[in-house]
Amino acid sequence: MRKILIVGLLAFGLMTLDAYTTWLSPIHNVVDNLVRPFHWLSNIPSRVQEWGEINTEPRADIQKENARLTQESLIHRGQLQRMSELAAENLRLRQLLNATELLMDSVLVTEVIGVSPNPQSHTVTIDRGRDDGVYAGQPILDAEGLMGQIISVYDSHSVALLITDSSHALPVQVLRNGVRSIAEGTSDYNVMRLRFVSPTSDIREGDQLVSSGLGGRFPVGYPVGTVTSITQKPGKIFVDVEVDPSAELDRSRHLLLVFKVGGRDADGALR
Amino acid sequence: MIAVFLQLVPSTGGWLLWKPNFLLLMVIAWILYIPNQYGIGFAALVGLFADALFRTPLGHYVLVFALCGAVAYLLSRWLTYFSMFHRAFLVFVLVILGELVGAALFSIWDIPKNLSHLHILGLTSAIAWVLVDRFVARIHLHHR
Repeated sequence: MRKILIVGLLAFGLMTLDAYTTWLSPIHNVVDNLVRPFHWLSNIPSRVQEWGEINTEPRADIQKENARLTQESLIHRGQLQRMSELAAENLRLRQLLNATELLMDSVLVTEVIGVSPNPQSHTVTIDRGRDDGVYAGQPILDAEGLMGQIISVYDSHSVALLITDSSHALPVQVLRNGVRSIAEGTSDYNVMRLRFVSPTSDIREGDQLVSSGLGGRFPVGYPVGTVTSITQKPGKIFVDVEVDPSAELDRSRHLLLVFKVGGRDADGALR
Repeated sequence: MIAVFLQLVPSTGGWLLWKPNFLLLMVIAWILYIPNQYGIGFAALVGLFADALFRTPLGHYVLVFALCGAVAYLLSRWLTYFSMFHRAFLVFVLVILGELVGAALFSIWDIPKNLSHLHILGLTSAIAWVLVDRFVARIHLHHR
């Protein structure tokens, strides 16, 4: 009984120190580096599966896939040409309006090497760190949309907090009309919630949400999610708006770290 | 090592909520089988490691593991004579206790915790216990 009391007191002391001071962060850093090989080891099954899928695929299928990707690349390049024309036009119009120029972002490809084993904490470990120019607060994306932001940076790896973590919130706007709100995580990979949405707000089911860029943390215009349901409970001032995140938060392996041009940049970053 | 490996193997979406806490299961197993060597201190140490692994505030899992370890330690004298079913039931109860204590601690820091999956987590842990129990029993027998 005495032992459990001592352990309990020690645990509470540690928790208080960890929550309210940064004294224990060196220990966290050391332990995180020690735990990294375990993350690497636990990823072996998925790497083997990936390797197997690539190496056992019939040649005909690979050729078919290659042809499809070539076609897709052509289509995307065509669209890109159209986009650059639109971007130039947008810039001209912004200059006419004396508005601030939108910054172009550069990106760096990274791979997920570990996922938080705690279901309540939505974090991933990626294989880029301080050596690659990664910094705390840096946004990360996958092919579908905004994934989250970097919270801890180590020499060769970093930890990112996903947008669905219950402690995460990001400013968004409706793509259709620009209505602004805050999207919060719910500890569920498939659901986010909008905070303080008035019943008179012009938000509809199916509306696409993008990052609004307010707060300066996330760049403007990256897809965040789609509004899936709007419910008003009797007696409540605000409506409950549920959002389905665009990014494949629990599936994506390859991510993009976003660097702002004019800000910090990485050596291998692509533009 | 195997417990850490199983704990870290990525699982997706809803499955993650059902994933048993293999570290806790290993702690309970060692305390039940060798209570004179492994006790509350051992549970607290593994808890500290779990804190580092789960990136929770240091001390969180120390308390959860120490509490579950203490219950397992107190009952260890009798439980070795009980059937697998009874031990699995104890694990079910301990996992739920651990989750509730964890949720209470999270609430101190204003972090909401979803407890809707609690019974399923208890059930999957009890099922996983059957394997963990057999594994530890075999090692224990081998070392004796």
